Amino acid sequence: MASVDMQNIRKAFGPSVALEDFSIDIRSGELVCLLGPSGCGKTTALRILAGFERADSGDVSVDRKDITKVAVEKRNFSMVFQDYSLFPNMTARGNINFALKSRKVHAGERASIIDRMLAVTSLEDQADKFPHQMSGGQKQRVALARAIATSPRVLLLDEPLSALDAKVRESLREEIRRLQREIGVTTVFVTHDQHEALAIADRVGVMSNGRLEQIATPRELYETPVNSFVATFIGSINKVPAIGTSDGKWECWGSVLTGSRSSTPGESVVVGVRPEDIRVKREVNGPASLTDVSFLGPITRVSIRLDRGETVVVDLMSAECGDLRPEQAVRLSLRPEVHRVVVF
Amino acid sequence: MKTFLKWAFLVALAAFFIVPLLAMARFAFQSVPVILLTPETALQGWSIDPIIAAAQEPQMWAASRTSVLLAAFTILLTLLLLIPLAIVTEIKAPHLRPLLTALTLLPWVVPPIALVVGVAVTFRTGAPWFLASVFSLVPFYALWAMPFTYRALDAGLQAINARTLYEAARSMGAPFATIVMRVILPNMTASIVAAAALTTALVLGEFAFASLLLKETLPTFMVNFQQSQARAGLALALVVLLLTAVAISVVVRALRRRGLSVQTTGL
Amino acid sequence: MKRIHPDTRIGLLVALPFVAFISLFLLYPTVAIVFSAFTPGGDYSVAGLGRALSGSYRQGFINSTALAGTTAVIGGIIGLTLAAVMRTLQRPRWLHSTLDSWSAVASQLGGVPLAFAFIAAIGTQGLLTKLFNQVGININDFGVSPTGFWGLVVVYLYFQIPLMFLVSLPALNGLRPTWREAAALMGASGARYWLRVGIPILTPAALGGMLLLFVNSFAAYATAYVLNPGGALVPLQIRFLLQGNVISGEEDLGYAIVTWVITLLLASLFLLTFLQRRTLRWTRS
Repeated sequence: MASVDMQNIRKAFGPSVALEDFSIDIRSGELVCLLGPSGCGKTTALRILAGFERADSGDVSVDRKDITKVAVEKRNFSMVFQDYSLFPNMTARGNINFALKSRKVHAGERASIIDRMLAVTSLEDQADKFPHQMSGGQKQRVALARAIATSPRVLLLDEPLSALDAKVRESLREEIRRLQREIGVTTVFVTHDQHEALAIADRVGVMSNGRLEQIATPRELYETPVNSFVATFIGSINKVPAIGTSDGKWECWGSVLTGSRSSTPGESVVVGVRPEDIRVKREVNGPASLTDVSFLGPITRVSIRLDRGETVVVDLMSAECGDLRPEQAVRLSLRPEVHRVVVF
Repeated sequence: MKTFLKWAFLVALAAFFIVPLLAMARFAFQSVPVILLTPETALQGWSIDPIIAAAQEPQMWAASRTSVLLAAFTILLTLLLLIPLAIVTEIKAPHLRPLLTALTLLPWVVPPIALVVGVAVTFRTGAPWFLASVFSLVPFYALWAMPFTYRALDAGLQAINARTLYEAARSMGAPFATIVMRVILPNMTASIVAAAALTTALVLGEFAFASLLLKETLPTFMVNFQQSQARAGLALALVVLLLTAVAISVVVRALRRRGLSVQTTGL
Repeated sequence: MKRIHPDTRIGLLVALPFVAFISLFLLYPTVAIVFSAFTPGGDYSVAGLGRALSGSYRQGFINSTALAGTTAVIGGIIGLTLAAVMRTLQRPRWLHSTLDSWSAVASQLGGVPLAFAFIAAIGTQGLLTKLFNQVGININDFGVSPTGFWGLVVVYLYFQIPLMFLVSLPALNGLRPTWREAAALMGASGARYWLRVGIPILTPAALGGMLLLFVNSFAAYATAYVLNPGGALVPLQIRFLLQGNVISGEEDLGYAIVTWVITLLLASLFLLTFLQRRTLRWTRS
């Protein structure tokens, strides 16, 4: 258990800058996801934290002690890789044993630790199998058991679920979360899959072009993204016209809102509104018209063409939306709970 | 220190590979006997006469012509036998690929010096007419080239995902023959060229079989010629060696530019 | 009338010529040799097979095995080291492409020109022989002459090293960087990683490569013939028996020797295929 602090990290590979002014502060026992499109620098950040790469400038510290110059072997971290990285010449038990022996765990303790690790990852029946005899999900569970067996100060996961199919991905995701809570290890999880990040993380750091755009709880990230990149990257969002008011706020469909920046009176912009934050009312000669209605079970998704031709998507609770049909004229408004929006 | 050791190792190996060739060149093109070789005489007596002497040997041209024709026929036979087999196996019966890989390795079990004994037992007594022509060597050369050629062709098929290509073309309604001729073969040119190059190198170098069946090919000619004209023989061998080396390098580089590596051994 | 499925027809169309070709030119002569080896003079007997492993022929097998084994081990180690060194050197780039091309060439060079080159280098009139004489060393004293054992080893290494280099590359590339990284994070030293992970994973591939080198040099004929046609190596002894300049009845001995050679090479290739399977299984999972 340890807190992690990365300050002002910069890293370039030749002419391409992988990380620029990257700072993140991770509390002890927290699970933080680094999320972003490929090439955004999230893996580089993880590899600098692990010690595989050295930052061009900036500091990495654990429990407020600078570890920038500490060798990989001495950091007492563990990592789970996308390609499992199990040693193919050792069984599941052998892989875990190798880790414990490398950390100089006493021989008498090793067997019981291995058994406990195999038990918590439900791998008892795989103990003496070699990696090539296991499925992808089993291999990644062995990798996870091997990583936590040494009681690392920090657990690093580099796209651990990306090579697995959807069902296994979801169950292993829950398993990682449960294990992480149980042992309370500080964890950094790198992924490009927002559903994975939102489901598992205490906080999610959204990255693009080598920078950390925002780090917040999944809910904050979704409800109050700080900029248009985060807003469009997480979930889906509509671009809706708004006008500046005299007190620096924005007016949209009759609601007055605080924006991610303040307005000048009469300024015309588009702001981001989530599909579920829009209300639809049928109105003869209303300014907008329905173009498409798709029933998706609990929610119904409708597409609406605004008077100036833009299309917005609205998610309505199926139980509440009544009888909506294409070509109907409607009027849109925002739900009263909406107070803050992102200005594009 | 580590870097120094690495480079020392590489330089030593380079010397090992280059020095014999230099010694060969010196012997062939410098008329000073090695006993009299001193710093003063090191630059004397160099001439290209030996290779001219070799070039004036009509038998050399006859043997070369034989070897080139042998190579051409061997390539033809190899490709006719193996291309249809490799393609059909890959797209119709991929589960048989390991079997074919093992089968095509069999010629290595019976090297030329061993097979020639079998040929003496069978063809020489049963069908002597077959061994009368120098081109009776063709099927045997095709046989020893097979471990390389099959692997080169198979690697080519894997690299272009032939099965997916076939299924895609099939779904558009193309008949089997059209798919093979218009889709798969044109994408295999690189591996066909590799197979041909490897076969050529093998045929131009094969000595045991030709020598024991008393056929005059370029290698058997070189051995006889060298016994009568030592320096011209070495000059000829050096030129043949360098030409082969240049030809293979050109093919390897051309394939590299296409992103393919030549697994000459087929492993 | 029973219709044949079109796939079966295509399969037969391509498989039959291949099977016929292999049967006629490989299996038929091979089976004929083995059959003759067991029936010397027309009656079943294993006496010929016994004689093929006695006296000067036993010495031939010992020499050939020693030569093939020595060049396989030395060539294997040097070739593997070369591949490992090249893997750590990112540049110069030209060195990589040159070495790849050169290895493809040199691994095919066992033959007449190669033998000539070494006669010119380490023969009695050789350039290197002369150079070493100048500093007072007679390399022939160490068995390094084109007809001596170590001379043959040196000549064979010329094609064995590049061959091993080529077969080692895929195996070395199969070592995943994440294995090294995972081990480092666990606190394992570089030595411990190589001892417990790197070397065990490479071993099947390295042994397989050496077996290939063994087969390759055991069967080599041209180089040995040009350097020393009377040498006591199995391929040269086969030639001697085959050319029939010995008393009649001796060809049975030739069949027996060839049968032993085929057995040895077949066993080596079986083992090689087994080792390859293991390598593939490990590097893919």
